[in-house]
Amino acid sequence: MSWIRSKPFLWFILPGFVLYSLFSVYPIFSAVQISLNKWDGIGKKTFVGFDNYVELFSNPALFDQLKNALGHSVTIFALNALVVLPAQLYLAYLLYSKIRGHRFFQAMIFSPQFIATPVIAFMGTLVFDGNIGVFNKVLEAFGLGEWTRPWMGIPEFGIYIVWLLVAWSGIGVGMIFFLGAMKMISNEVIEAALLDGASYWGRFFRIVLPQIKTTILNMLILTYIFAMTLFDFSFILGGASGGINRSVDVMALFFYRISFGDNSSVGGTTNVNAMGMGTTIACVMFLIVFVVALLQVFVSYRRTED
Amino acid sequence: MKTILKKKTPISAAILWVYSLFTLFVLVYMTYQAFRPKKDLLSATFAFPKHLGFGNFRKLFVDAGFFTYLFNSALILFGALFLVVMLSTMVAYGIGKFNFKFKSGILLYFLIGLMFPVQLGIVPIFLLIRDLGLLNNQLSVVLVLASGLSMPVFLLTTFFAKLPNDLYESAKIDGAGEWTTFIRVMFPLASPVTFSVCIIMSMQIWNQFFVPLIFLQSEAKKTIPLMIMKFTNNVLYNMDMAMVGSVMATVPLLILFFFFSGRIVEGVATGGVKG
Repeated sequence: MSWIRSKPFLWFILPGFVLYSLFSVYPIFSAVQISLNKWDGIGKKTFVGFDNYVELFSNPALFDQLKNALGHSVTIFALNALVVLPAQLYLAYLLYSKIRGHRFFQAMIFSPQFIATPVIAFMGTLVFDGNIGVFNKVLEAFGLGEWTRPWMGIPEFGIYIVWLLVAWSGIGVGMIFFLGAMKMISNEVIEAALLDGASYWGRFFRIVLPQIKTTILNMLILTYIFAMTLFDFSFILGGASGGINRSVDVMALFFYRISFGDNSSVGGTTNVNAMGMGTTIACVMFLIVFVVALLQVFVSYRRTED
Repeated sequence: MKTILKKKTPISAAILWVYSLFTLFVLVYMTYQAFRPKKDLLSATFAFPKHLGFGNFRKLFVDAGFFTYLFNSALILFGALFLVVMLSTMVAYGIGKFNFKFKSGILLYFLIGLMFPVQLGIVPIFLLIRDLGLLNNQLSVVLVLASGLSMPVFLLTTFFAKLPNDLYESAKIDGAGEWTTFIRVMFPLASPVTFSVCIIMSMQIWNQFFVPLIFLQSEAKKTIPLMIMKFTNNVLYNMDMAMVGSVMATVPLLILFFFFSGRIVEGVATGGVKG
């Protein structure tokens, strides 16, 4: 009793520790263990070693899906890192310099964050649909009638439509993170730059960006994890199968399809190895995320140290 | 200093106006369409509105059971938020305020979760929830979402570690026990950070799609995002419901956001700077 009494922190940490361990940490280890078995989730488990991994990379039907889905996930990440991230920095700097109307802009750009994914996909339909879409109407109004397309239904555009929706809905959060980081830059630094006579954009590139580089690195890592585990938009636009020719398929959707089947969310599968192969894909995804994410844990950890 | 930073940037201003007005347009356009009957939506989308009315809203509230979905969403939001705030504050206080042997190890353990999005562990979580008999029960979603403690623990630990020790000492001298000190003194002190945690977690929980999709199967248990997807899955047949459902899921929340946008955005920024 006195041992417990002298360690009051145990009582504070324990409840959170239990819940977190049970639903956030244990599942990862359990997934690794299940991935070494042939299992449908109900019947008998058969230990098969690394057979599932071998099959994932050698069975053409599975490997083609993996390549396609991974390619799409990487595309989303590349576009986010090369287009959305710089745009977020640019917008944050405009807001930071208190451009006229900045409160309105900030609210408008951030607001899609409060809109549920199915609604955002539906808004995509309202804008880009072939028949009822506003975008085609605008093209016609500008005399570009021959350019009208059923934008949402063209497989080649599928993943770019997904990206557009992702970008529109998510651009605000990163922007606000960058804005927050910019506001932390000390006045002395900015004033020194002003005395040096640096121009508006000169200050952006030479003073502001170097000052917030840790935040930029952090955002880049978050963008990567986000892109690699993206699920909602692809599922909503293409269903579990990933759309026509799997044109909007991504890693998390591939994983979902194998684990829980093509038809209903749960129990619709007849695959005899649904859980075994599903967790195998999850473990591959985990490795892809892990390498980069480890970096983030250490960056965060070091910040609590100082 | 602020005025010196200003510069005339007409092109940038134009970009911001076009972008913001586009977003505003989509919202207003959707709201306007929600007042039109289904046949007008599909056959006369851009024609002058002849029939405007609350018919779609009535259908959504009465026939489609909107308030059931709203109740489920709210139940999950408040349940998960309560657990997250309570547990993460306690954990962070335990790690940040006390000194013990495996302190940094425990903190690192809680940070690992930053690397594991819930998707990766969903198969074992599913099996666990099934064995607990919680499938198709809102509690399953509450527990799974509330277990994502990494980010809040990280934010709050930083806060408690920096808090001067005098407050703790003086509460102790006044004869307060550990729990009283925590609830009466420490928890209120952390409220700016807790607010930030609440905002960030609320956005995540309210719009959560994946976890409810896996665990909630009957319509009576589903959340608002799943309701919208039921309508948009067969969008030609359910155009009116998709429209009015989207409006009800979006517009009230956004109006609330615009009123408090300053504080909300500040809360998110606090989380971002540290995270």
